[in-house]
Amino acid sequence: MECVVQGIIETQHVEALEILLLGLCGVHRVRLRVHELCLKSGPNLGSEASEVRLLCDLEQPEPTWTVRHVGGSMRGAGADQISVLVRTMVESKVSKNVLRLFYLLGYKLDHELLRVGFAFHFQRSAQITVTVSSVNKMLKLHATDEAVPVTPGIQLVEVTAPASAENYNEVAAAVSSFCEYLAPLLHLSKPGVSTGVVPTAAAAAASLMSYGGTTIM
Amino acid sequence: MYIRVLHWQPNAGHTVSSQILAEVSQCVESINGVKEGKWKATLSFYRPVLKEQANAAEFPRDFLGISLPEQPSKYYFVLRGQRLVLEADSTIQTIMEKLQSYKTRVALNFEGFQYQLGDFQLRVGKVVSIQSESLRGIVMEMEYRPISSWEKSHKIMGEFFDIWQEALSKRSLPGHFVHMEPNFGEFGLSGQYTLQHTAVQYATIMLQMIATAQSVRN
Repeated sequence: MECVVQGIIETQHVEALEILLLGLCGVHRVRLRVHELCLKSGPNLGSEASEVRLLCDLEQPEPTWTVRHVGGSMRGAGADQISVLVRTMVESKVSKNVLRLFYLLGYKLDHELLRVGFAFHFQRSAQITVTVSSVNKMLKLHATDEAVPVTPGIQLVEVTAPASAENYNEVAAAVSSFCEYLAPLLHLSKPGVSTGVVPTAAAAAASLMSYGGTTIM
Repeated sequence: MYIRVLHWQPNAGHTVSSQILAEVSQCVESINGVKEGKWKATLSFYRPVLKEQANAAEFPRDFLGISLPEQPSKYYFVLRGQRLVLEADSTIQTIMEKLQSYKTRVALNFEGFQYQLGDFQLRVGKVVSIQSESLRGIVMEMEYRPISSWEKSHKIMGEFFDIWQEALSKRSLPGHFVHMEPNFGEFGLSGQYTLQHTAVQYATIMLQMIATAQSVRN
């Protein structure tokens, strides 16, 4: 299970966001370069269609692979009252021939993306991860060196935290509370609920750059 | 670590029995094997869930999932026909359940005791169907601990295997242990031994045991 919120920020304000996150999280960022392959079951496989994501971390000395299954999100009155999305999510690290395995099992490549950016992993009442990345598409199959941004000038910010059936309320509250600190720069909400950029972002970014610009170096 | 997995091949007209299992265990102890504890591995068959059975040939027929005692947090997939082996975290089983594109059918347990003999570890185990608890076979794992290189361990393992076969032959049991070494290179595995090599050996043994069972029925 995980709690998730997303938002967008203009690329010109990412440096300011990074300064803010460095101050809030107290840890160094890690670089992110992940090739994400979304596979869907072929027409005859399964009584219902299924989808699985393969993530290849290209930032490691040897590319490492993870399989991720994202399930349904919580619904109902209880879910509506929570400002973050709570959904089932299971991951497994795997050895490198996982793509071939799923092709042989009858899965097909639906689409692939390259996410490039950075992430902060830290503890604040919950294990929280903030990723800031540009989402890029490949012009040729698997050509990660020739990827171009899907939305030039705009980057995706995602805040996630693992949760369980016993503690998702507390985790959701921790994520929500953290997101309030980012409000001057961006608005974070449940995936699928689009909110656009924040009008105060430019002023907030200028303020952050003037105070903290030198600390990044 | 370098492991050779063996399975019991009964003589024509005979079957495997718990008596044979007991004799094998006693033989290990007679060559000064020190009993250390229990071990267990599991093997599951995965079958595709199909909308139309007519297209079954498009999908792999021997998709196996294996858990091994050395790494309880890992799980291994083998597509024997396509020469593919994959190591994953054990959460991959949950992912497969959620996908609902493949279901686990027959599952087998390999379980018994392990023994230490100097640089070697022996595991003797019965093969039991989870559904019926009936004895389906006997397996043995011979592990040479100090070296993981196939090239360097192969000869030492061969010599130990000969000693073992000689000790066992004195009991005049109606069968013998067989080792069929898979072509690890075809599975993309290197000369450095890993648990993926063990998973491939168990997958190969399944084929042998199925063939044996079919010939007994015929």
